[in-house]
Amino acid sequence: MARRLFEFLEQDTRTAAAARVLISTGAVLVVWQIVSMIVTNRLLLVPPAEVAVALAHEVADGAMWTNASATVTAVVTSFVVSVVIGVAIGLALASSRILSLTGGPVLSALNSVPIIALAPLFIAWLGLGFASKFVLVILVAVFPVVVTTEAGLRATDKPLIEAARSFNATPWQIFTTVTFPYALPFIVSGVRVAWARALVGIVVAEFFGSFAGFGYAILSASQTFDTARVLGYVIMLGAMGLLGSVLFAALEQRLAPWRQE
Amino acid sequence: MTEAVRLAVDGIGKTFERRGKPPVEALRDIRMTIREGEFVSIVGASGSGKSTLLRIIDGLIAPSAGVVRVDGRPVSKPGRDRAMVFQQDSLLPWKTVAENVAYGLTLAKVPKAEAFATAQKFIDIAGLKGFEQHYPHQLSGGMRQRVNVARALAVDPEILLLDEPFAALDAQTREIMQTELLSIWQATGKTVLLITHQIDEAVFLSDRVIVFSARPGTIRREIPVPLPRPRDLELKRSAEFVSLVDTIWKLIEAEVRAGLKEE
Repeated sequence: MARRLFEFLEQDTRTAAAARVLISTGAVLVVWQIVSMIVTNRLLLVPPAEVAVALAHEVADGAMWTNASATVTAVVTSFVVSVVIGVAIGLALASSRILSLTGGPVLSALNSVPIIALAPLFIAWLGLGFASKFVLVILVAVFPVVVTTEAGLRATDKPLIEAARSFNATPWQIFTTVTFPYALPFIVSGVRVAWARALVGIVVAEFFGSFAGFGYAILSASQTFDTARVLGYVIMLGAMGLLGSVLFAALEQRLAPWRQE
Repeated sequence: MTEAVRLAVDGIGKTFERRGKPPVEALRDIRMTIREGEFVSIVGASGSGKSTLLRIIDGLIAPSAGVVRVDGRPVSKPGRDRAMVFQQDSLLPWKTVAENVAYGLTLAKVPKAEAFATAQKFIDIAGLKGFEQHYPHQLSGGMRQRVNVARALAVDPEILLLDEPFAALDAQTREIMQTELLSIWQATGKTVLLITHQIDEAVFLSDRVIVFSARPGTIRREIPVPLPRPRDLELKRSAEFVSLVDTIWKLIEAEVRAGLKEE
């Protein structure tokens, strides 16, 4: 019985994938419930059911909608822009050796700077509102895309390029028919990481400088010790993260089915 | 054999410059001609520069000295009069068999319908019928090399260049592929230049075998193969065949052994 369940879960189908997600969320809920029965201080931890009630309340009074639309608009716009910028910088680095040698170290230095910590500075520069969120999210999300784009473009199998050249392909044709398609699944894996980083970026930006959004809601709820509401919004962010991860993983697999075998 | 000279290799030499190390002379003064419709093989120990010569003929690498001519015209870059079949997997993994076979034609901006019609013809010739919509990773090594051959033939080259095309295949598959290559050659009448380290493969397929010496690569000897055609695998057991293979082996044996010690 247990063995058949394992075999089913290992399958590469949508039902099996959905079942895996359900089982792991179920497990988290069970552990959460047990821990909240031991830790009875409701300022520290509330059981899942209370969080669900708090979430339902947020939906009913419209706060959920206001916060969700603020966060989703800001994060999606800046995420899309960071992917575009990231791919462009990655392309530039992969196509120019000089640029890669001179710009590469600057980029990796920037990448290791905790940009999140500079959030208050950005808000001082750009004010409260969309602009500071936009810039902060781009700065944290752009690097994984830059790195994977450059790596993917450089990783192309040499024999594939040689074969294209042998058929008299122009440099542009080599790019569109060999190098770019080869790099695409790499880029998508960078995009997947960028999405997770963008979510962290948006929450921090909203902590410091906004009057709507999940980050703002989490901060204001924690200031009033409303733990149920804090956890409710954290769960919303988790769901967004999971959704992006599943989506981009599926895209990656679809773009490069030959890598699975 | 009174046909015109299709490929002329005239005094080709190649020296690779290396940063911080002495340059390596890979080829020295290679001279040979191949007539229209002829099947010629080059054998030699590893390091004899035979693969480099093939790339120079294809136009992928520029020679340091000499000139390659196809039908009298000097070669400076790849062109549709030559097509290469590579040793490694050089098929595009995200394209189907049909798209891969049509690849050279689409690069040359042949209209899609025409490209796929032509591709289909060579898919049939290469025994790939029914696999048009498969992806390379769904095929065996032998099937993938058939796609490779079909892709090269689809651009209708005058000269087919093969770079150890069956080296990665197991011995049985290799023998089958050799007989298939022979029948494709007979059906299409292409001029073929094959690079191989399998002496029996060279003798079985060719009208002439050119034996290279190593470091730098030079032509050591040209050996005509007067065996009757059409040939089948039975031929490999005949005394004449065995003695030809033996002659060639003796020509390169010392260098193969020297190469073993170096590595």
